[in-house]
Amino acid sequence: MKFIKKSYVAFILLIMYAPVAILMVYSFNDSKLPIWKGFTLRWYEEIFKDYSIQQAFSNTILVAVVSSIIATIIGTFAAIGIERMTGWKKSLVMNVTYIPLLSSEIVTGVSLMLLFGALGMTPGISTLILSHITFSIPYVILSIMPKLKQLNYNIYEAALDLGAKPSYAFRKVILPEILPGVLAGLFIAFTLSIDDFIISFFNTGPGVDTLSIKVFSMTRKGVAPTINAISTIMFGTIIIILITTNIMASKKQKKINKSNKSL
Amino acid sequence: MDKKRLALPYVIWASIFVVVPVLIIVYYSFFDKGIFTLQGYKQVLNPRYLGNIMDSIGIAFISTVICLVLAYPLAMILSSKEMSAKGIILLLVILPMWMNSLLRTYAWGYLLQDTGVVNSLLSSMGLPTMQFLYKKSAIVFGNVYNFFPFMVLPIYNVLCKIDKNVIEASYDLGADKFTTFKRIILPLSMPGVITGIVMVFMPALTTFLVSRLLGGGKTTLLGDLIEQQFNKTGDWAFGSALSVILMIIILITLVFMSKKDSFDKGGGLF
Amino acid sequence: MKETKQQTEPIINLVNISKTFDDGAQILKDINMYIRRNEFLTLLGPSGCGKTTLLRIIGGFEEASSGEVLFEGSNIAKLPPYKRRINTVFQKYALFPHMTVGENIAFGLQIKKVDQKTIDEKVAQMLELVNLKGFQDRRIESLSGGQQQRIAIARAVVNEPEVLLLDEPLGALDLKLRKGMQMELKKIQQKLGITFIYVTHDQEEALTMSDTIAVMNEGRVQQIGTPVDIYNEPKNAFVADFIGESNILQATMIKDYLVSFHGVDFVCVDTGFGENVAVDVVIRPEDIRIVKEEEGMLKGTVESVTFKGVHYEMMVKSNNYTWAVHSTAMAPVGAKVGMVLTPEDIHIMKRG
Repeated sequence: MKFIKKSYVAFILLIMYAPVAILMVYSFNDSKLPIWKGFTLRWYEEIFKDYSIQQAFSNTILVAVVSSIIATIIGTFAAIGIERMTGWKKSLVMNVTYIPLLSSEIVTGVSLMLLFGALGMTPGISTLILSHITFSIPYVILSIMPKLKQLNYNIYEAALDLGAKPSYAFRKVILPEILPGVLAGLFIAFTLSIDDFIISFFNTGPGVDTLSIKVFSMTRKGVAPTINAISTIMFGTIIIILITTNIMASKKQKKINKSNKSL
Repeated sequence: MDKKRLALPYVIWASIFVVVPVLIIVYYSFFDKGIFTLQGYKQVLNPRYLGNIMDSIGIAFISTVICLVLAYPLAMILSSKEMSAKGIILLLVILPMWMNSLLRTYAWGYLLQDTGVVNSLLSSMGLPTMQFLYKKSAIVFGNVYNFFPFMVLPIYNVLCKIDKNVIEASYDLGADKFTTFKRIILPLSMPGVITGIVMVFMPALTTFLVSRLLGGGKTTLLGDLIEQQFNKTGDWAFGSALSVILMIIILITLVFMSKKDSFDKGGGLF
Repeated sequence: MKETKQQTEPIINLVNISKTFDDGAQILKDINMYIRRNEFLTLLGPSGCGKTTLLRIIGGFEEASSGEVLFEGSNIAKLPPYKRRINTVFQKYALFPHMTVGENIAFGLQIKKVDQKTIDEKVAQMLELVNLKGFQDRRIESLSGGQQQRIAIARAVVNEPEVLLLDEPLGALDLKLRKGMQMELKKIQQKLGITFIYVTHDQEEALTMSDTIAVMNEGRVQQIGTPVDIYNEPKNAFVADFIGESNILQATMIKDYLVSFHGVDFVCVDTGFGENVAVDVVIRPEDIRIVKEEEGMLKGTVESVTFKGVHYEMMVKSNNYTWAVHSTAMAPVGAKVGMVLTPEDIHIMKRG
């Protein structure tokens, strides 16, 4: 039974990661076609020559960084505020929050495009950022809300009772408690921004490409291996970051365990 | 200080970027260059488009069912082991998104093509090769692949929250494993299942490009239809009407879900 | 204590039960005991003593690392919980949140495929038994803690188990509710004639309700006996200390009927310890009589006095030992007093 369970998990992970693996493999393939012709690093060298790919990469990162940070700030305050709301106001705000989450990306994308059109905004980086903030905030709110529910509100009142100003009490007492949720929200917002195609597709302007839009424009003729190369770099980077933070966290945990034992 | 006011920036933001756009779409669905028309909605009833819509519903339905059938056992396995920390599960499910979903869907094209990796594996095991691509089943596969995490996470979360004592109580009262699953675990996990169904069905219904990437563009789905109205034919009234209909479906779902407290009872995404 | 029921043959026999968890912690060490039919047995001990684990082994939720659980003579150690004629009342109620009160109580009967009419009747009966008549259609979340506790009892008892396991069932209730429920539980047990195995860390609760108490510590049963025996004749210092307040002193058994501590020889009623053997002596605070200094067997100074309602609690220092004394008469702080002990009140225990 245990073997069946483990095999099942392995099977699902295999399916989830198979395309990731094949793209990584092809980024080292000495051919433009998806047939293995031997190892090369030339697609990685190509990145340094291809200005349009560099541009798409920097746009993707710029939009992801700016939108996820703003979404996290607005979303964190929103979650705290919503948690304190009651009755119909709370359910109204929550239902509006669920709209972008449940509604298809295409409706979100089109409706935002129409809004920017109505406001007379030229589509480009700014409309991209605004649209990404919009679809990210609900994810941030939803990842913080459970932490707030667990939070014992008395600790905030205790801080005030001990003479802390509200802003100080927030920073020293509430924020550390909900921080895991905030960071998860930031991570999810950043990831979704990088991954997004549909909403970006409707809200970008001519000449402003992100990586996903670049991929889209190549799908008919075949995606250039440089895209695979730059995607591999991004994926590799996040893996390295996650592994190092994990190691650091477990080392810290070990230290805490040790000092607990000596007590 | 009134903590509710902290939500004010968000409320303003959501009004401008969520509520107003919905109203604009409603407006465009009724007005063509300022003139009132029901043409957009009439178009929906055009048998050709109705066919596309039915295709989309069918594909989305099958994709959702497959997701559910695959995700429920996975969520059960993951939630049963205490050792697999919650953060790692979330990470493993989200991590592939760091490689663009469009690119990954495209990569399935490599893997599933007639001379691709999957067929090479099949023939090396002495099994007959198959044509995977350019069929409706390929679109279903793409949907299942892309939206699977949105089914696993809510079910996993709701299963983690079930009190172990409640399950023991069921055994204690004479229910065997199957009966306990049927009468206790399954009903208690329904909020997560409902969230999962909604979060897979809606995007699967309106996805576009998957059909183009894996289905060979032979099947036009709801998402492709909407995209065409705005980017090619310029029939905004029709495109908006389709969006409004989707919106109404979403609103009905929302009312249904908040009645059932799906999100509050632990069926949330995280 | 009156014995109203026949408490004869054992229904459950625990033979050499040991339990070691995966992390290497040995939580139960070679437990041997039996539970007689229709008795109210309490497993009493501090948290971490293994009492809940022992209960879970009897219920089938945990498997013993070694040993046998004999139920009416046959080993049920490998039997899953749903095949045992034993039911459990869980500490945090563990009611099914998606079912009504009635559906919760009916659950076990439905599993046994009892017909609906009988189920309805029994559910109504049970609700009456636990004083919640007419609560069938209530939702679980609309009930108070005390009401949920009653439903949990009804849900278990309706199956007419041979043995009912109760894991600190009153732990989450406030003091007043607790006292009331203690009486009710005892009544239910006597009325239905079911064997109760009750886990608690509250010694007062154990003394009030039980026919038999098994005091546990560090994975071992320290003493089994009636509440009176356990209170009056604690076997060792742990039991004496855990059950009620005690003065525990090191002493020397000079010979049968004579013990010496604090430089004084005392006549006692115990025999069989040998001659000049180191022992522990237990003296309950309420057994010490305060007299004038010159009339006392021991002399001391009152260090503190606390009014406790029925009596005064005094701390009396004598020979570098601080005695706890309960008395209706009060001596002021600083007073020199004498203390008198009668032979029956001096309990001798083997040194641990």
